[in-house]
Amino acid sequence: MYLGLKEMQHEKLRYALLSGVLLLIALVVFMLAGLANGLSEGNRLAVDQWNAQNVYLNKDANKTLSASQLKLADKKYLTGTDIAPLANLSGTLRTTNNKLKTTTSALGTTRDSFLMPTVLTGHQINGKNQLLISAALKDKGYRLGQKVQIGTTDQKVTIVGTYAASTYSIAPTVYTDVSTLNRLKGSPITSGDQQPINAYVTKNSHFKTSKHGGLQRFSTESFINNLPGYSAQNLTLDTMIYFLFVIALAVIGIFMFVLTLQKQALFGVLKVQGIGTKHILAALLTQSIIMALIGISISLVLTVGIAQIMPASLPFAIDWPQFGIYSVALLLASVVGALLSWRTVAKIDPVVAIG
Amino acid sequence: MNKSVLTLQHVDKKFGHGRTAVTALKDANFEVQAGQFVAIIGPSGSGKSTFLTIAAGLQTPTDGQVILNGQPLTHQSEKQRLAYRFNEIGFILQSSNLIPFLNVLEQFKLVDKMAHRKFQQDKAKELLSELALTEVQNAYPSELSGGERQRVAIARALYNDPSVILADEPTASLDTSRSIDVVKRLADEAHQHQKAIVMVTHDQRLIEDCDVVYQIEDGLLSRRD
Ligand SMILES: Nc1ncnc2c1ncn2[C@@H]1O[C@H](COP(=O)(O)OP(=O)(O)OP(=O)(O)O)[C@@H](O)[C@H]1O
Ligand SMILES: [Mg+2]
Repeated sequence: MYLGLKEMQHEKLRYALLSGVLLLIALVVFMLAGLANGLSEGNRLAVDQWNAQNVYLNKDANKTLSASQLKLADKKYLTGTDIAPLANLSGTLRTTNNKLKTTTSALGTTRDSFLMPTVLTGHQINGKNQLLISAALKDKGYRLGQKVQIGTTDQKVTIVGTYAASTYSIAPTVYTDVSTLNRLKGSPITSGDQQPINAYVTKNSHFKTSKHGGLQRFSTESFINNLPGYSAQNLTLDTMIYFLFVIALAVIGIFMFVLTLQKQALFGVLKVQGIGTKHILAALLTQSIIMALIGISISLVLTVGIAQIMPASLPFAIDWPQFGIYSVALLLASVVGALLSWRTVAKIDPVVAIG
Repeated sequence: MNKSVLTLQHVDKKFGHGRTAVTALKDANFEVQAGQFVAIIGPSGSGKSTFLTIAAGLQTPTDGQVILNGQPLTHQSEKQRLAYRFNEIGFILQSSNLIPFLNVLEQFKLVDKMAHRKFQQDKAKELLSELALTEVQNAYPSELSGGERQRVAIARALYNDPSVILADEPTASLDTSRSIDVVKRLADEAHQHQKAIVMVTHDQRLIEDCDVVYQIEDGLLSRRD
Protein backbone atom coordinates (compact mmCIF):
# COMPACT_ATOMS: atom_id res chain seq x y z
CA MET A 1 0.00 0.00 0.00
CA TYR A 2 2.48 2.61 1.23
CA LEU A 3 5.01 1.96 -1.53
CA GLY A 4 2.36 1.95 -4.26
CA LEU A 5 0.65 5.12 -3.04
CA LYS A 6 3.87 7.04 -2.54
CA GLU A 7 5.07 6.18 -6.02
CA MET A 8 1.79 7.36 -7.54
CA GLN A 9 2.04 10.62 -5.62
CA HIS A 10 5.55 11.16 -6.89
CA GLU A 11 4.83 10.14 -10.49
CA LYS A 12 1.46 11.83 -10.84
CA LEU A 13 1.62 12.41 -14.58
CA ARG A 14 2.53 8.83 -15.45
CA TYR A 15 -0.28 7.31 -13.42
CA ALA A 16 -2.77 10.03 -14.36
CA LEU A 17 -2.16 9.17 -18.02
CA LEU A 18 -2.88 5.51 -17.45
CA SER A 19 -5.98 6.40 -15.42
CA GLY A 20 -6.97 8.50 -18.41
CA VAL A 21 -6.61 5.56 -20.78
CA LEU A 22 -8.72 3.42 -18.45
CA LEU A 23 -11.22 6.25 -18.19
CA LEU A 24 -11.61 6.30 -21.98
CA ILE A 25 -12.03 2.53 -22.17
CA ALA A 26 -14.59 2.59 -19.35
CA LEU A 27 -16.39 5.48 -21.02
CA VAL A 28 -16.70 3.52 -24.27
CA VAL A 29 -17.94 0.50 -22.28
CA PHE A 30 -20.61 2.54 -20.51
CA MET A 31 -21.67 4.42 -23.66
CA LEU A 32 -21.99 1.19 -25.61
CA ALA A 33 -23.87 -0.43 -22.73
CA GLY A 34 -26.18 2.57 -22.50
CA LEU A 35 -26.87 2.46 -26.23
CA ALA A 36 -27.36 -1.30 -26.14
CA ASN A 37 -29.83 -0.89 -23.27
CA GLY A 38 -31.58 1.93 -25.06
CA LEU A 39 -31.90 -0.10 -28.24
CA SER A 40 -33.09 -3.20 -26.46
CA GLU A 41 -35.55 -1.19 -24.41
CA GLY A 42 -36.80 0.46 -27.60
CA ASN A 43 -37.43 -2.99 -28.98
CA ARG A 44 -39.15 -4.50 -26.01
CA LEU A 45 -40.54 -1.85 -23.66
CA ALA A 46 -44.16 -2.47 -24.72
CA VAL A 47 -43.72 -6.22 -24.20
CA ASP A 48 -42.25 -5.64 -20.73
CA GLN A 49 -45.21 -3.44 -19.86
CA TRP A 50 -47.68 -6.21 -20.76
CA ASN A 51 -46.37 -8.22 -17.86
CA ALA A 52 -47.40 -11.37 -19.72
CA GLN A 53 -46.16 -14.95 -19.38
CA ASN A 54 -46.81 -16.41 -22.83
CA VAL A 55 -47.31 -15.44 -26.44
CA TYR A 56 -49.06 -17.72 -28.94
CA LEU A 57 -48.04 -17.36 -32.57
CA ASN A 58 -48.77 -19.27 -35.75
CA LYS A 59 -46.34 -22.18 -35.74
CA ASP A 60 -45.24 -21.34 -39.29
CA ALA A 61 -44.47 -17.72 -38.43
CA ASN A 62 -40.84 -18.38 -37.50
CA LYS A 63 -41.50 -16.75 -34.12
CA THR A 64 -42.18 -13.38 -35.74
CA LEU A 65 -45.23 -11.36 -34.74
CA SER A 66 -45.83 -9.68 -38.09
CA ALA A 67 -45.56 -12.99 -39.97
CA SER A 68 -48.02 -14.72 -37.66
CA GLN A 69 -51.60 -15.02 -38.98
CA LEU A 70 -54.26 -16.05 -36.45
CA LYS A 71 -57.99 -15.47 -36.10
CA LEU A 72 -59.84 -14.13 -33.07
CA ALA A 73 -61.68 -17.45 -33.04
CA ASP A 74 -58.43 -19.30 -32.28
CA LYS A 75 -59.03 -18.45 -28.63
CA LYS A 76 -61.08 -21.66 -28.53
CA TYR A 77 -57.85 -23.68 -28.34
CA LEU A 78 -56.73 -21.87 -25.15
CA THR A 79 -57.88 -21.91 -21.59
CA GLY A 80 -56.85 -19.75 -18.62
CA THR A 81 -57.18 -16.19 -17.37
CA ASP A 82 -56.05 -12.97 -19.05
CA ILE A 83 -55.98 -14.08 -22.65
CA ALA A 84 -55.73 -11.07 -24.96
CA PRO A 85 -55.61 -10.93 -28.75
CA LEU A 86 -52.93 -8.80 -30.33
CA ALA A 87 -52.92 -7.34 -33.82
CA ASN A 88 -49.96 -5.33 -35.03
CA LEU A 89 -49.37 -2.76 -37.77
CA SER A 90 -46.11 -0.95 -38.33
CA GLY A 91 -46.75 2.22 -40.22
CA THR A 92 -46.47 5.95 -40.38
CA LEU A 93 -48.70 7.90 -38.05
CA ARG A 94 -49.65 11.20 -39.64
CA THR A 95 -52.08 14.04 -39.06
CA THR A 96 -54.66 14.53 -41.81
CA ASN A 97 -52.85 17.65 -43.07
CA ASN A 98 -49.57 15.67 -43.14
CA LYS A 99 -47.90 18.20 -40.80
CA LEU A 100 -46.69 15.51 -38.37
CA LYS A 101 -45.35 12.16 -39.51
CA THR A 102 -43.90 9.49 -37.21
CA THR A 103 -43.11 5.83 -37.58
CA THR A 104 -45.15 3.91 -35.02
CA SER A 105 -46.02 0.43 -33.92
CA ALA A 106 -49.79 0.25 -33.79
CA LEU A 107 -51.17 -2.46 -31.50
CA GLY A 108 -54.76 -3.63 -31.41
CA THR A 109 -56.38 -5.61 -28.62
CA THR A 110 -59.79 -5.85 -26.98
CA ARG A 111 -60.89 -2.66 -25.25
CA ASP A 112 -60.89 -4.20 -21.77
CA SER A 113 -57.74 -6.31 -22.30
CA PHE A 114 -54.89 -6.34 -19.78
CA LEU A 115 -52.64 -5.21 -22.63
CA MET A 116 -54.34 -1.83 -22.83
CA PRO A 117 -52.11 0.80 -21.21
CA THR A 118 -53.27 2.93 -18.31
CA VAL A 119 -54.53 6.23 -19.68
CA LEU A 120 -52.86 9.35 -18.23
CA THR A 121 -54.84 12.05 -20.04
CA GLY A 122 -58.09 11.64 -21.99
CA HIS A 123 -60.09 8.46 -21.69
CA GLN A 124 -60.02 4.73 -22.47
CA ILE A 125 -61.23 3.53 -25.85
CA ASN A 126 -65.01 3.36 -25.68
CA GLY A 127 -66.08 3.55 -29.31
CA LYS A 128 -65.12 3.01 -32.92
CA ASN A 129 -62.02 4.52 -34.48
CA GLN A 130 -60.38 5.76 -31.31
CA LEU A 131 -56.66 5.76 -30.61
CA LEU A 132 -54.39 5.99 -27.55
CA ILE A 133 -50.88 7.40 -28.07
CA SER A 134 -47.71 7.01 -26.00
CA ALA A 135 -45.83 9.86 -24.33
CA ALA A 136 -43.19 10.32 -27.06
CA LEU A 137 -45.92 11.04 -29.62
CA LYS A 138 -47.60 13.52 -27.31
CA ASP A 139 -44.21 15.24 -26.95
CA LYS A 140 -43.95 15.36 -30.76
CA GLY A 141 -47.13 17.47 -30.89
CA TYR A 142 -49.96 14.97 -31.39
CA ARG A 143 -52.87 15.95 -29.16
CA LEU A 144 -56.22 14.74 -27.91
CA GLY A 145 -59.07 15.14 -30.37
CA GLN A 146 -56.76 15.16 -33.38
CA LYS A 147 -57.72 13.04 -36.41
CA VAL A 148 -54.85 10.88 -37.66
CA GLN A 149 -54.14 8.15 -40.19
CA ILE A 150 -51.81 5.17 -39.91
CA GLY A 151 -50.33 3.35 -42.87
CA THR A 152 -51.68 3.63 -46.36
CA THR A 153 -55.46 3.40 -45.95
CA ASP A 154 -57.78 6.39 -45.83
CA GLN A 155 -59.20 5.33 -42.48
CA LYS A 156 -59.15 8.18 -39.97
CA VAL A 157 -59.00 7.66 -36.21
CA THR A 158 -59.26 10.13 -33.32
CA ILE A 159 -56.74 10.43 -30.52
CA VAL A 160 -58.69 10.07 -27.28
CA GLY A 161 -56.01 9.35 -24.69
CA THR A 162 -52.31 9.26 -23.90
CA TYR A 163 -50.23 6.93 -21.74
CA ALA A 164 -46.65 6.51 -20.49
CA ALA A 165 -43.63 6.06 -22.78
CA SER A 166 -43.82 2.76 -24.63
CA THR A 167 -41.98 1.42 -27.66
CA TYR A 168 -41.97 -1.70 -29.79
CA SER A 169 -39.43 -2.32 -32.60
CA ILE A 170 -37.76 1.02 -31.82
CA ALA A 171 -40.97 2.90 -32.58
CA PRO A 172 -43.41 4.54 -30.16
CA THR A 173 -46.62 2.57 -29.77
CA VAL A 174 -50.27 3.48 -30.25
CA TYR A 175 -53.14 1.28 -29.03
CA THR A 176 -56.60 0.75 -30.46
CA ASP A 177 -59.18 -2.04 -30.58
CA VAL A 178 -58.89 -4.99 -32.97
CA SER A 179 -61.64 -3.83 -35.36
CA THR A 180 -60.18 -0.36 -35.73
CA LEU A 181 -56.73 -1.82 -36.31
CA ASN A 182 -58.12 -4.09 -39.01
CA ARG A 183 -59.80 -1.10 -40.67
CA LEU A 184 -56.47 0.75 -40.54
CA LYS A 185 -54.82 -2.29 -42.11
CA GLY A 186 -57.51 -2.42 -44.77
CA SER A 187 -58.29 -6.05 -44.06
CA PRO A 188 -61.52 -7.41 -45.64
CA ILE A 189 -62.97 -8.63 -42.33
CA THR A 190 -63.29 -5.97 -39.60
CA SER A 191 -65.84 -7.53 -37.28
CA GLY A 192 -66.74 -10.90 -35.78
CA ASP A 193 -64.43 -13.69 -34.67
CA GLN A 194 -63.00 -14.39 -38.12
CA GLN A 195 -61.01 -11.14 -37.92
CA PRO A 196 -57.28 -11.60 -38.43
CA ILE A 197 -54.95 -11.00 -35.52
CA ASN A 198 -51.23 -11.72 -35.05
CA ALA A 199 -51.02 -13.28 -31.64
CA TYR A 200 -52.61 -14.17 -28.35
CA VAL A 201 -50.83 -12.74 -25.32
CA THR A 202 -51.65 -14.33 -21.98
CA LYS A 203 -50.78 -14.20 -18.34
CA ASN A 204 -51.88 -17.64 -17.32
CA SER A 205 -52.97 -20.11 -19.97
CA HIS A 206 -52.42 -23.41 -21.69
CA PHE A 207 -53.83 -25.39 -24.59
CA LYS A 208 -57.27 -26.77 -23.88
CA THR A 209 -56.65 -30.08 -25.62
CA SER A 210 -53.92 -31.68 -27.62
CA LYS A 211 -55.39 -29.93 -30.68
CA HIS A 212 -53.37 -26.73 -31.10
CA GLY A 213 -54.97 -25.43 -34.30
CA GLY A 214 -51.63 -24.28 -35.74
CA LEU A 215 -50.73 -22.23 -32.65
CA GLN A 216 -47.42 -22.41 -30.89
CA ARG A 217 -46.72 -21.27 -27.34
CA PHE A 218 -43.68 -19.14 -26.43
CA SER A 219 -42.49 -17.63 -23.22
CA THR A 220 -42.39 -13.84 -23.30
CA GLU A 221 -38.58 -14.00 -22.93
CA SER A 222 -38.20 -16.17 -26.02
CA PHE A 223 -40.67 -13.94 -27.88
CA ILE A 224 -38.48 -10.93 -27.04
CA ASN A 225 -35.30 -12.70 -28.07
CA ASN A 226 -36.87 -13.40 -31.44
CA LEU A 227 -37.91 -9.82 -32.11
CA PRO A 228 -36.40 -8.95 -35.51
CA GLY A 229 -32.76 -7.96 -35.08
CA TYR A 230 -32.99 -7.99 -31.29
CA SER A 231 -30.56 -10.80 -30.48
CA ALA A 232 -28.10 -9.95 -33.25
CA GLN A 233 -27.97 -6.34 -32.07
CA ASN A 234 -27.41 -7.29 -28.45
CA LEU A 235 -24.79 -9.86 -29.35
CA THR A 236 -22.87 -7.35 -31.46
CA LEU A 237 -22.82 -4.66 -28.78
CA ASP A 238 -22.12 -7.12 -25.96
CA THR A 239 -19.22 -8.62 -27.89
CA MET A 240 -17.73 -5.16 -28.33
CA ILE A 241 -18.08 -4.58 -24.60
CA TYR A 242 -16.44 -7.90 -23.73
CA PHE A 243 -13.56 -7.08 -26.05
CA LEU A 244 -13.10 -3.82 -24.21
CA PHE A 245 -12.60 -5.74 -20.96
CA VAL A 246 -9.82 -7.68 -22.64
CA ILE A 247 -8.34 -4.43 -23.97
CA ALA A 248 -8.44 -2.90 -20.47
CA LEU A 249 -6.65 -5.97 -19.13
CA ALA A 250 -4.03 -5.76 -21.89
CA VAL A 251 -3.44 -2.03 -21.43
CA ILE A 252 -2.94 -2.32 -17.67
CA GLY A 253 -0.95 -5.53 -18.09
CA ILE A 254 1.45 -4.10 -20.69
CA PHE A 255 1.87 -0.81 -18.88
CA MET A 256 2.55 -2.44 -15.52
CA PHE A 257 4.89 -4.92 -17.16
CA VAL A 258 6.93 -2.17 -18.84
CA LEU A 259 7.11 -0.28 -15.54
CA THR A 260 8.19 -3.46 -13.77
CA LEU A 261 10.98 -4.00 -16.28
CA GLN A 262 12.09 -0.40 -15.77
CA LYS A 263 12.09 -0.84 -12.00
CA GLN A 264 13.86 -4.20 -11.89
CA ALA A 265 16.97 -2.69 -10.30
CA LEU A 266 14.91 -0.93 -7.64
CA PHE A 267 12.95 -4.11 -6.89
CA GLY A 268 16.27 -5.96 -6.59
CA VAL A 269 17.44 -3.45 -3.98
CA LEU A 270 14.14 -3.83 -2.11
CA LYS A 271 14.59 -7.59 -2.04
CA VAL A 272 18.15 -7.20 -0.72
CA GLN A 273 16.65 -5.19 2.12
CA GLY A 274 14.14 -7.92 2.89
CA ILE A 275 11.13 -6.37 1.17
CA GLY A 276 9.92 -9.28 -0.90
CA THR A 277 7.76 -10.15 -3.90
CA LYS A 278 4.60 -10.00 -1.79
CA HIS A 279 5.09 -6.35 -0.91
CA ILE A 280 6.14 -5.38 -4.43
CA LEU A 281 3.07 -7.05 -5.93
CA ALA A 282 0.88 -5.38 -3.32
CA ALA A 283 2.23 -2.05 -4.54
CA LEU A 284 1.46 -2.90 -8.19
CA LEU A 285 -2.05 -4.05 -7.23
CA THR A 286 -2.68 -0.92 -5.15
CA GLN A 287 -1.72 1.20 -8.11
CA SER A 288 -3.81 -0.64 -10.67
CA ILE A 289 -6.86 -0.72 -8.40
CA ILE A 290 -6.61 2.98 -7.67
CA MET A 291 -6.16 3.85 -11.34
CA ALA A 292 -9.13 1.65 -12.25
CA LEU A 293 -11.32 3.21 -9.54
CA ILE A 294 -10.41 6.73 -10.68
CA GLY A 295 -10.99 5.89 -14.35
CA ILE A 296 -14.26 4.06 -13.72
CA SER A 297 -15.79 6.64 -11.41
CA ILE A 298 -14.95 9.60 -13.63
CA SER A 299 -16.29 7.78 -16.68
CA LEU A 300 -19.53 6.98 -14.82
CA VAL A 301 -19.97 10.66 -14.02
CA LEU A 302 -19.25 11.54 -17.65
CA THR A 303 -21.71 8.92 -18.89
CA VAL A 304 -24.49 10.32 -16.71
CA GLY A 305 -23.60 13.82 -17.92
CA ILE A 306 -23.55 12.82 -21.58
CA ALA A 307 -26.88 11.02 -21.15
CA GLN A 308 -28.41 14.32 -20.00
CA ILE A 309 -27.34 16.28 -23.07
CA MET A 310 -27.96 13.49 -25.55
CA PRO A 311 -30.79 14.10 -28.07
CA ALA A 312 -33.95 12.27 -27.01
CA SER A 313 -34.07 10.48 -30.35
CA LEU A 314 -30.91 8.55 -29.43
CA PRO A 315 -31.97 5.45 -27.51
CA PHE A 316 -29.89 5.44 -24.33
CA ALA A 317 -30.69 3.86 -20.99
CA ILE A 318 -28.56 3.50 -17.85
CA ASP A 319 -29.04 0.20 -16.09
CA TRP A 320 -27.26 0.66 -12.73
CA PRO A 321 -26.97 -3.02 -11.72
CA GLN A 322 -25.45 -3.74 -15.14
CA PHE A 323 -23.10 -0.73 -14.89
CA GLY A 324 -22.10 -2.05 -11.46
CA ILE A 325 -21.20 -5.42 -12.92
CA TYR A 326 -19.24 -3.80 -15.77
CA SER A 327 -17.37 -1.62 -13.25
CA VAL A 328 -16.41 -4.69 -11.27
CA ALA A 329 -15.35 -6.42 -14.50
CA LEU A 330 -13.10 -3.48 -15.42
CA LEU A 331 -11.64 -3.50 -11.92
CA LEU A 332 -10.96 -7.23 -12.16
CA ALA A 333 -9.37 -6.72 -15.58
CA SER A 334 -6.97 -4.20 -14.01
CA VAL A 335 -6.16 -6.52 -11.13
CA VAL A 336 -5.46 -9.43 -13.49
CA GLY A 337 -3.45 -7.07 -15.71
CA ALA A 338 -1.23 -6.13 -12.76
CA LEU A 339 -0.88 -9.78 -11.74
CA LEU A 340 0.61 -10.54 -15.18
CA SER A 341 3.86 -9.06 -13.84
CA TRP A 342 3.90 -11.51 -10.94
CA ARG A 343 6.42 -13.91 -12.48
CA THR A 344 8.68 -11.09 -13.56
CA VAL A 345 8.70 -9.64 -10.06
CA ALA A 346 9.21 -13.05 -8.46
CA LYS A 347 12.14 -13.82 -10.78
CA ILE A 348 14.10 -10.67 -9.94
CA ASP A 349 17.24 -11.91 -8.21
CA PRO A 350 18.47 -9.67 -5.38
CA VAL A 351 22.02 -10.92 -5.98
CA VAL A 352 22.27 -8.79 -9.13
CA ALA A 353 21.71 -5.68 -7.01
CA ILE A 354 25.06 -6.38 -5.38
CA GLY A 355 27.83 -5.87 -7.89
CA MET B 1 31.81 -8.89 25.69
CA ASN B 2 33.56 -9.95 22.53
CA LYS B 3 30.63 -11.97 21.41
CA SER B 4 30.80 -12.89 17.76
CA VAL B 5 27.79 -11.59 15.80
CA LEU B 6 28.53 -13.04 12.39
CA THR B 7 30.79 -16.00 11.77
CA LEU B 8 31.72 -17.81 8.57
CA GLN B 9 33.30 -21.24 8.99
CA HIS B 10 35.10 -22.99 6.15
CA VAL B 11 32.85 -21.42 3.54
CA ASP B 12 33.36 -22.45 -0.10
CA LYS B 13 31.44 -21.03 -3.03
CA LYS B 14 31.73 -22.53 -6.51
CA PHE B 15 29.92 -21.37 -9.62
CA GLY B 16 29.30 -23.81 -12.45
CA HIS B 17 30.54 -27.35 -12.83
CA GLY B 18 33.53 -29.23 -14.17
CA ARG B 19 36.09 -27.42 -16.28
CA THR B 20 34.26 -24.09 -16.36
CA ALA B 21 33.74 -24.04 -12.60
CA VAL B 22 34.84 -20.86 -10.82
CA THR B 23 35.69 -20.94 -7.15
CA ALA B 24 34.75 -17.52 -5.80
CA LEU B 25 35.45 -18.33 -2.14
CA LYS B 26 37.86 -20.92 -0.75
CA ASP B 27 37.66 -22.10 2.86
CA ALA B 28 36.74 -18.66 4.13
CA ASN B 29 36.82 -18.09 7.88
CA PHE B 30 35.54 -14.82 9.21
CA GLU B 31 34.26 -13.23 12.38
CA VAL B 32 32.90 -9.85 13.40
CA GLN B 33 31.88 -8.71 16.89
CA ALA B 34 29.44 -6.08 18.11
CA GLY B 35 31.05 -2.64 18.02
CA GLN B 36 33.62 -3.70 15.45
CA PHE B 37 34.17 -2.04 12.11
CA VAL B 38 35.73 -4.60 9.77
CA ALA B 39 37.03 -3.97 6.24
CA ILE B 40 37.46 -6.56 3.54
CA ILE B 41 39.83 -5.33 0.88
CA GLY B 42 40.58 -6.95 -2.43
CA PRO B 43 40.87 -6.32 -6.15
CA SER B 44 38.08 -6.68 -8.67
CA GLY B 45 36.83 -10.23 -9.13
CA SER B 46 38.43 -11.44 -5.91
CA GLY B 47 35.12 -12.57 -4.36
CA LYS B 48 34.08 -9.59 -2.21
CA SER B 49 30.49 -9.41 -3.42
CA THR B 50 30.19 -13.18 -3.25
CA PHE B 51 31.26 -12.98 0.39
CA LEU B 52 28.58 -10.38 1.17
CA THR B 53 25.76 -12.20 -0.59
CA ILE B 54 26.56 -15.35 1.35
CA ALA B 55 26.77 -13.49 4.65
CA ALA B 56 23.42 -11.90 3.84
CA GLY B 57 21.77 -15.21 3.01
CA LEU B 58 21.22 -14.15 -0.62
CA GLN B 59 23.21 -17.15 -1.81
CA THR B 60 23.88 -20.44 -0.09
CA PRO B 61 27.49 -21.56 0.31
CA THR B 62 28.61 -24.68 -1.54
CA ASP B 63 30.22 -25.79 1.70
CA GLY B 64 30.72 -24.49 5.24
CA GLN B 65 28.50 -22.54 7.59
CA VAL B 66 27.28 -19.03 8.22
CA ILE B 67 26.32 -18.37 11.82
CA LEU B 68 24.45 -15.26 12.94
CA ASN B 69 23.93 -14.65 16.66
CA GLY B 70 24.73 -18.29 17.29
CA GLN B 71 22.16 -19.54 14.77
CA PRO B 72 23.29 -21.38 11.61
CA LEU B 73 21.83 -19.79 8.51
CA THR B 74 21.83 -22.79 6.22
CA HIS B 75 18.63 -24.73 5.54
CA GLN B 76 16.39 -21.72 5.89
CA SER B 77 13.41 -21.17 3.64
CA GLU B 78 13.29 -18.26 1.20
CA LYS B 79 10.71 -16.57 3.43
CA GLN B 80 12.84 -16.97 6.56
CA ARG B 81 15.85 -15.57 4.75
CA LEU B 82 13.80 -12.57 3.61
CA ALA B 83 12.75 -11.92 7.20
CA TYR B 84 16.35 -12.44 8.29
CA ARG B 85 17.60 -9.84 5.86
CA PHE B 86 14.86 -7.44 6.88
CA ASN B 87 15.40 -7.78 10.64
CA GLU B 88 19.05 -8.68 11.13
CA ILE B 89 20.94 -7.09 8.27
CA GLY B 90 21.39 -3.52 7.23
CA PHE B 91 22.61 -3.08 3.67
CA ILE B 92 24.55 -0.26 2.15
CA LEU B 93 25.19 -0.69 -1.56
CA GLN B 94 27.44 1.20 -3.98
CA SER B 95 24.55 3.41 -5.00
CA SER B 96 20.81 3.40 -5.50
CA ASN B 97 20.13 2.31 -1.94
CA LEU B 98 17.26 4.70 -1.66
CA ILE B 99 13.75 4.56 -3.07
CA PRO B 100 13.57 7.40 -5.62
CA PHE B 101 9.97 8.34 -4.86
CA LEU B 102 10.33 8.57 -1.08
CA ASN B 103 11.85 11.57 0.70
CA VAL B 104 14.50 11.03 3.37
CA LEU B 105 12.10 10.66 6.30
CA GLU B 106 9.81 8.41 4.28
CA GLN B 107 12.72 6.05 3.63
CA PHE B 108 12.60 5.32 7.36
CA LYS B 109 8.82 5.27 7.47
CA LEU B 110 8.81 2.53 4.84
CA VAL B 111 10.82 0.27 7.16
CA ASP B 112 8.20 0.67 9.88
CA LYS B 113 5.33 0.18 7.42
CA MET B 114 6.85 -3.11 6.32
CA ALA B 115 7.28 -4.18 9.94
CA HIS B 116 3.69 -3.13 10.74
CA ARG B 117 4.65 -0.72 13.47
CA LYS B 118 4.34 2.98 14.13
CA PHE B 119 6.81 5.37 12.54
CA GLN B 120 9.54 6.12 15.08
CA GLN B 121 10.04 9.68 13.97
CA ASP B 122 12.24 10.70 16.90
CA LYS B 123 14.63 7.85 16.27
CA ALA B 124 14.84 8.72 12.57
CA LYS B 125 15.49 12.38 13.33
CA GLU B 126 18.15 11.53 15.88
CA LEU B 127 20.00 9.36 13.37
CA LEU B 128 19.69 12.06 10.74
CA SER B 129 21.15 14.68 13.05
CA GLU B 130 24.00 12.33 13.99
CA LEU B 131 24.85 12.09 10.31
CA ALA B 132 24.35 15.84 9.70
CA LEU B 133 21.30 15.27 7.52
CA THR B 134 18.64 17.21 9.41
CA GLU B 135 18.45 19.88 6.73
CA VAL B 136 17.68 17.45 3.95
CA GLN B 137 15.13 15.32 5.78
CA ASN B 138 12.36 16.28 3.37
CA ALA B 139 14.44 16.03 0.19
CA TYR B 140 14.11 13.29 -2.40
CA PRO B 141 17.16 11.17 -3.28
CA SER B 142 17.56 12.94 -6.63
CA GLU B 143 18.00 16.23 -4.74
CA LEU B 144 20.84 14.92 -2.55
CA SER B 145 24.58 14.83 -3.20
CA GLY B 146 26.24 11.42 -3.51
CA GLY B 147 27.73 11.73 -0.02
CA GLU B 148 24.41 12.71 1.52
CA ARG B 149 22.75 9.78 -0.19
CA GLN B 150 25.25 7.32 1.27
CA ARG B 151 24.88 8.89 4.71
CA VAL B 152 21.11 8.46 4.45
CA ALA B 153 21.74 4.83 3.51
CA ILE B 154 23.86 4.42 6.64
CA ALA B 155 21.15 5.97 8.81
CA ARG B 156 18.52 3.81 7.17
CA ALA B 157 20.60 0.66 7.75
CA LEU B 158 21.02 1.57 11.43
CA TYR B 159 17.38 2.51 11.85
CA ASN B 160 16.05 -1.05 11.90
CA ASP B 161 18.58 -2.07 14.61
CA PRO B 162 20.13 -4.91 12.63
CA SER B 163 22.70 -7.26 14.14
CA VAL B 164 25.15 -6.50 11.40
CA ILE B 165 25.56 -3.92 8.66
CA LEU B 166 27.03 -5.02 5.35
CA ALA B 167 28.40 -2.31 3.08
CA ASP B 168 29.41 -3.17 -0.48
CA GLU B 169 31.84 -0.50 -1.69
CA PRO B 170 29.71 2.22 -0.10
CA THR B 171 32.07 4.89 -1.39
CA ALA B 172 32.39 3.73 -5.00
CA SER B 173 30.40 6.66 -6.33
CA LEU B 174 32.12 9.28 -4.17
CA ASP B 175 35.30 11.37 -4.44
CA THR B 176 38.14 10.80 -1.94
CA SER B 177 37.28 13.42 0.70
CA ARG B 178 33.61 12.41 0.71
CA SER B 179 34.63 8.74 0.85
CA ILE B 180 36.79 9.31 3.89
CA ASP B 181 33.94 11.20 5.55
CA VAL B 182 31.44 8.39 4.91
CA VAL B 183 33.86 5.72 6.21
CA LYS B 184 34.59 7.77 9.35
CA ARG B 185 30.86 7.97 9.99
CA LEU B 186 30.51 4.21 9.56
CA ALA B 187 33.29 3.70 12.12
CA ASP B 188 31.65 6.15 14.53
CA GLU B 189 28.29 4.41 14.25
CA ALA B 190 29.85 1.00 14.85
CA HIS B 191 31.50 2.20 18.04
CA GLN B 192 28.69 4.41 19.26
CA HIS B 193 25.81 1.97 18.66
CA GLN B 194 27.81 -1.21 19.31
CA LYS B 195 27.02 -2.46 15.82
CA ALA B 196 28.99 -4.97 13.79
CA ILE B 197 29.79 -3.33 10.47
CA VAL B 198 31.49 -5.07 7.55
CA MET B 199 32.69 -2.91 4.67
CA VAL B 200 33.97 -4.24 1.39
CA THR B 201 36.28 -2.03 -0.64
CA HIS B 202 39.19 -2.08 -3.06
CA ASP B 203 40.51 1.27 -1.84
CA GLN B 204 43.56 1.05 0.49
CA ARG B 205 43.10 4.65 1.71
CA LEU B 206 39.82 3.87 3.38
CA ILE B 207 40.94 1.26 5.88
CA GLU B 208 42.62 3.57 8.41
CA ASP B 209 39.56 3.74 10.65
CA CYS B 210 38.90 0.01 10.61
CA ASP B 211 39.33 -2.17 13.69
CA VAL B 212 40.06 -5.29 11.72
CA VAL B 213 41.10 -5.69 8.08
CA TYR B 214 40.68 -8.81 6.00
CA GLN B 215 42.32 -9.24 2.65
CA ILE B 216 40.79 -11.25 -0.16
CA GLU B 217 42.56 -12.41 -3.29
CA ASP B 218 41.26 -15.00 -5.75
CA GLY B 219 38.70 -16.19 -3.22
CA LEU B 220 41.22 -16.57 -0.40
CA LEU B 221 40.30 -14.60 2.71
CA SER B 222 42.99 -13.77 5.24
CA ARG B 223 43.11 -11.53 8.30
CA ARG B 224 45.71 -8.77 8.22
CA ASP B 225 47.55 -8.09 11.46
N1 LIG C 1 26.66 -15.95 -10.52
C1 LIG C 1 27.94 -16.21 -10.90
N2 LIG C 1 28.19 -17.15 -11.82
C2 LIG C 1 29.45 -17.42 -12.21
N3 LIG C 1 30.51 -16.80 -11.72
C3 LIG C 1 30.35 -15.84 -10.80
C4 LIG C 1 29.05 -15.49 -10.35
N4 LIG C 1 29.16 -14.51 -9.41
C5 LIG C 1 30.47 -14.24 -9.32
N5 LIG C 1 31.19 -15.05 -10.12
C6 LIG C 1 32.66 -15.08 -10.23
O1 LIG C 1 33.19 -15.15 -8.95
C7 LIG C 1 34.33 -14.32 -8.84
C8 LIG C 1 34.14 -13.34 -7.71
O2 LIG C 1 33.12 -12.41 -8.06
P1 LIG C 1 32.67 -11.21 -7.11
O3 LIG C 1 31.50 -10.55 -7.77
O4 LIG C 1 32.49 -11.72 -5.76
O5 LIG C 1 33.93 -10.25 -7.17
P2 LIG C 1 34.16 -8.82 -6.52
O6 LIG C 1 35.32 -8.95 -5.64
O7 LIG C 1 32.90 -8.33 -5.93
O8 LIG C 1 34.54 -7.94 -7.77
P3 LIG C 1 34.24 -6.38 -8.06
O9 LIG C 1 35.20 -5.61 -7.25
O10 LIG C 1 34.51 -6.25 -9.52
O11 LIG C 1 32.82 -6.16 -7.70
C9 LIG C 1 34.52 -13.69 -10.19
O12 LIG C 1 35.49 -14.43 -10.92
C10 LIG C 1 33.17 -13.80 -10.85
O13 LIG C 1 33.33 -13.92 -12.24
MG1 LIG D 1 31.57 -6.65 -6.30
